[in-house]
Amino acid sequence: MNLLSIAPTLAQGPMPTEMGGATLFHYLLVSAIMFGLGLIGFVTRRNLIIMFLCTELMFQAAGIALIAFSRFHLNHTGETFVIFVLTVAAAEAALALALVVLLFRRKETLDASSWQDLKG
Amino acid sequence: MLHLLELLGSSALATTLASTDAALASAPAAGGGVIAAPMWASLIVALPLLGAVLSTLMAVMGVRTKLPALMTVGLLAASFVTTLALFLQLQGGPAAGLKLYDWISLSWGSGAGQTFTASFGFDFDHLTLLWMLFVTGLSAIIALYASEYMSHDVGPGYCRFFFAFNLFVFSMACLVMGDNLLLLFLGWEGVGLCSYLLIGYFYRKPAAVAAAKKAFIVNRIGDLGLLLGILSTFAVFGTIEYTKIFAIIESGVLPNGQKLAEHWANWVIPALLTCGAFGKSAQLFFYVWLPDAMEGPTPVSALIHAATMVTAGVFLIARMYPLFVSDPHLIVLSVVAWAGAITAIWAATIEMAIFDIKRVMGYSTISQLGFMFAGLGILSPVGASFHTFTHAFFKATLFLGVGAVMHGFGGQLDLRRLSGVAWMRGFGLVGIAMLIGSINLSGVPFTAGYFSKDIILADAFALPHGQIWGSTAVAWILLITAGMTAYYTFRTYFRVYAGPKEFVPGDDAELLELGRHPKGVSIEEWHKQHGHGHGHGHSHGHGHGHDHGHGHDHGHGADKTATQRVDFDPTTEEFDPHPPGAAMKIAIAVAMVLAIAAASLYFIGPKGGWVAGMIAQSSAALPESVATHAGGDHAHGTFFGFDPHKVMYYVSAIVGFIGILIAAVLHGPRGWQGLFVGSRTQAEKSRADAFVTLFGPITTAARNKWYVDEIYDWTIRTPLLVLGHILHFADKLGVDGLVNLAGQIPRGLGRAFQTGQRGVLNGYALSMAAGIAVLAMIALLAST
Amino acid sequence: MHSMMSPILFYAACAIGALGVALAMPRRAVSPYLIGAIVGAAALGLALIGLAVAKPDALPNFHFYIFSAIALGAALRCITHARPIYSALYFVLTILASTGLYLILAAEFMAFALIIVYAGAILITYLFVIMLASEGPTEEVAEAMGEYDRVAREPWTASIAGFVLIAALSTMFAAGSSNLKLNPELAVADRHLDVMPKRVLAELREAKLLPDDSWGLAINGTNGRYDINPRLDGQGSLTIASNNGTGERQLIAQKDWPKGLSLSNTEGVAFSLIDAHPGAIEIAGVILLMSMLGAVILSRKKVEMDEEALRQAIARERSAERGDELGIEGPYATPGVGQGGAA
Repeated sequence: MNLLSIAPTLAQGPMPTEMGGATLFHYLLVSAIMFGLGLIGFVTRRNLIIMFLCTELMFQAAGIALIAFSRFHLNHTGETFVIFVLTVAAAEAALALALVVLLFRRKETLDASSWQDLKG
Repeated sequence: MLHLLELLGSSALATTLASTDAALASAPAAGGGVIAAPMWASLIVALPLLGAVLSTLMAVMGVRTKLPALMTVGLLAASFVTTLALFLQLQGGPAAGLKLYDWISLSWGSGAGQTFTASFGFDFDHLTLLWMLFVTGLSAIIALYASEYMSHDVGPGYCRFFFAFNLFVFSMACLVMGDNLLLLFLGWEGVGLCSYLLIGYFYRKPAAVAAAKKAFIVNRIGDLGLLLGILSTFAVFGTIEYTKIFAIIESGVLPNGQKLAEHWANWVIPALLTCGAFGKSAQLFFYVWLPDAMEGPTPVSALIHAATMVTAGVFLIARMYPLFVSDPHLIVLSVVAWAGAITAIWAATIEMAIFDIKRVMGYSTISQLGFMFAGLGILSPVGASFHTFTHAFFKATLFLGVGAVMHGFGGQLDLRRLSGVAWMRGFGLVGIAMLIGSINLSGVPFTAGYFSKDIILADAFALPHGQIWGSTAVAWILLITAGMTAYYTFRTYFRVYAGPKEFVPGDDAELLELGRHPKGVSIEEWHKQHGHGHGHGHSHGHGHGHDHGHGHDHGHGADKTATQRVDFDPTTEEFDPHPPGAAMKIAIAVAMVLAIAAASLYFIGPKGGWVAGMIAQSSAALPESVATHAGGDHAHGTFFGFDPHKVMYYVSAIVGFIGILIAAVLHGPRGWQGLFVGSRTQAEKSRADAFVTLFGPITTAARNKWYVDEIYDWTIRTPLLVLGHILHFADKLGVDGLVNLAGQIPRGLGRAFQTGQRGVLNGYALSMAAGIAVLAMIALLAST
Repeated sequence: MHSMMSPILFYAACAIGALGVALAMPRRAVSPYLIGAIVGAAALGLALIGLAVAKPDALPNFHFYIFSAIALGAALRCITHARPIYSALYFVLTILASTGLYLILAAEFMAFALIIVYAGAILITYLFVIMLASEGPTEEVAEAMGEYDRVAREPWTASIAGFVLIAALSTMFAAGSSNLKLNPELAVADRHLDVMPKRVLAELREAKLLPDDSWGLAINGTNGRYDINPRLDGQGSLTIASNNGTGERQLIAQKDWPKGLSLSNTEGVAFSLIDAHPGAIEIAGVILLMSMLGAVILSRKKVEMDEEALRQAIARERSAERGDELGIEGPYATPGVGQGGAA
């Protein structure tokens, strides 16, 4: 009995071997594009909350890559890492959003530009 | 002093003057002289310096009286008395030295020429004393004159004037009395500075400022030569002290063992020193600054630019005469002789054409300096020194007289606008003084100028052929110049001082009448005092006497804006001349008497007069090897077969009279003043006008000073200006451009990165993202 | 890269993607987000064509396309939508699509954890904060949007930089993943079965692979563990031994193992966490504790309003009042009060 056949039905067959389905590269490509989009969002958006949301998007991209690697290597280390990502994301959400609320109370705006004290 | 005290030992520090005198007595070699001069001789220098310091203090304290002038007159008179006392003490004796302190003492080895010492010490020989007598004497007289002449400017300007005046006398004393060339150079530059300050005294007047700058810059060229000469002297002789230099010259062997007669130093150093002398004494192409220097107040022109400072060049050559005659070929002296002769006749041609009487006096000074240089050149230091001495007095007299005219006629200097001044009320003394000065300058027999010029002419003719190249030609040029001198001198005299009383007030007349009251009364107050009803210009002038006449000398440029202008046409409304006051009259009288008395010096003392005796006892005396023609009996040169020393009395007298006669015919007024040949009845017209049309462009060219200034402008100034602009742009584009570029690069970088430092979170994120992208790309490209 | 997809088409897709994203960004004038979305979709399509051109026979299956397209499209909308609420909701969509990919990758536990923790907990927090920190709705605008939401900053520079990074990353991924070889030593291959002998026995018993109840798992003589050796290539085996004292042993080849005799994903993750990284889970716990403490402290902190912001707020209020007095219908003037003032 092939160990690889234990994958659920949705899962592709033997990923690293024959190209019957998506390879590691395809997932990494999706991950890279998502990371890029998150980065672009972080840079362009001025709303503090959206900026944090974009960091979550980048976390998510990293998560996809980690899961893909985990599947590629047929172990669960990558998934363990994703648990860390989730942990950090949760912690960040809690702290960062608390900070955002504080900042909003101080200036009554979520504009990141309103906190620029070095005007050039 | 400290040096001397050190000789005595530390215990002597406690003892005072008594022991100092003992030290001086026991140290005969102190200073350069054979014997030690008394300590009080330093007062000659110290008193003018004190005057300068006190004038400064008075300026600071805001003294608004004539106190600086009185103080200056007193101090300079004391200085003169000191000089006189020193002269009487040292008369006939050997040279005396006085070393005050070691000024510079450098040593970079023990060999010859590796020690440079210059002391602040003085050397009193007879040449020095001769110069100091007229420098201090005349400066005291002219200070008295200036006390009244400058009184319109009582206040800070007055203090400034007398500060520079005192500083000038101090510098001149250092120049003349210093026992080494460096102290001479200090004095040389000091008098140059004072000359600059005093020419530019009316510093709000552009012409005066330009003239001051011109004088300073032209002198710089000469001073470079002098400085190089001094440095060469040190390089060759290993010392700059006169006594040591003269000792080496006398021995004929230089410190390096070479013979001086075969060494280049015997003509190079004199040539360099001559360059300096030409600059200071306005010879050859250096002369251009002196006529412009007439922009200064007249006392300054009289003292600095006629009597004393400009003779510094003569003094320098006379001082270093042993070196000049050490050249067996006498090359430099030939050059000096020719330069003097050419300058003399050149200036004389200009004088014959121009109308500005003060400029006439300025060119006359150049011409007479030419005589002095020619005298030095044709181996007649006696003639040169005597002429310097007599010229100082009669030219001062002439200048003081001209100053009185300027003072009285609102700065009018045009001889076509003045006539019969001597007959005007209060100007009698001025007329007499001018006559005395003129006959001296013209060489009328038995005047001081006659004798001094005679010596030069006779020595020039008497010089054997070949000793000085072309000495006979020089002599003839000088003789012709003497005739021209007589002509232009009496031209001025006949036109200005003789003839019908006629005048047009000068540009300053309006200011003279309406200007600031010397006591500080404003023009409105003055009008209140004198009433308005009679119209301007006419109502006053009688009421307030002549003390208000202080608008002379172009000096009111500054006041023009300050005072209220009231319509006054000097040509139509009555103007009252302002005769000189008591102080000016005394000064003029004293100068005049001295100018007359100077003639008597020819008869006292040994053969050749008192000055000849003085020179004979000084280092300027001709050595036997050169003085082949010494004394009339051994003369080689002749004047048409006659002994020049005997016949020249008559020749020069005749030439002088011819010149005066021509002046009388052309410019003399009708009547006895014109020696019965004159015919002038108007100030403006004379028989000479016919010659203007006859000579046409020549007269115009001479009147325009032969366009020398214009030629200089085109050949030197304009190319330099263009070069300066080119270099300026090269500097701005090249050097400045590079420097600015070095500044612009970080600035541009900063501006480029400035947008990334706005404190905007997104901006930092963007630059970070872009950085990562670029790094990733680099890694990618590097890996493939 | 060459083996995976056509580089020219991929870079073209990146350029078009940058254009699309930049166009889709909210901006001051009319925001052509629809055009941007279409262009972005075109870019994705171009990338797909690039994949197809390079390896026509190696295209992933349908589910991958569905989930990745939804994930990326939602991500694009998340970063371009002017309204924060919608952004957050699109982000939830991204998460959900990602979980689909997780499932394809046989990471069921992480997929559901993601939905529960991310979409369920974290995003709800975000929504709370968005609602808390938004300016209040007015009569005209139901949901007030700040200028900072309506206008993106430097969309062009950002999208160019982002897509350069995407291109660089993808190129590297392509080169790296094609060189990457599976290391069998790292593969888990159900090797934790030897610590759960009862389960193995139950499975074997159910599959009737044990002769009778006296048979149990044999213990390896060398390492003292149960003798179960699963292998990636299916050539592994397990040994059973009889307990009747005869010492009789029997080998069961891996291919004959029952289907249930493998670890589920959740079990694998659990083993990975507890067995391989026991310290890591502790650290994760500490992080969460600290963030909780931090959140508590921050939320209890009293914050004074910035002076300038306060001034502006007061000025706003005053202008609104003045507008009332003058009867001006301003953006801040509430009609009811204005009428009252006029009356």
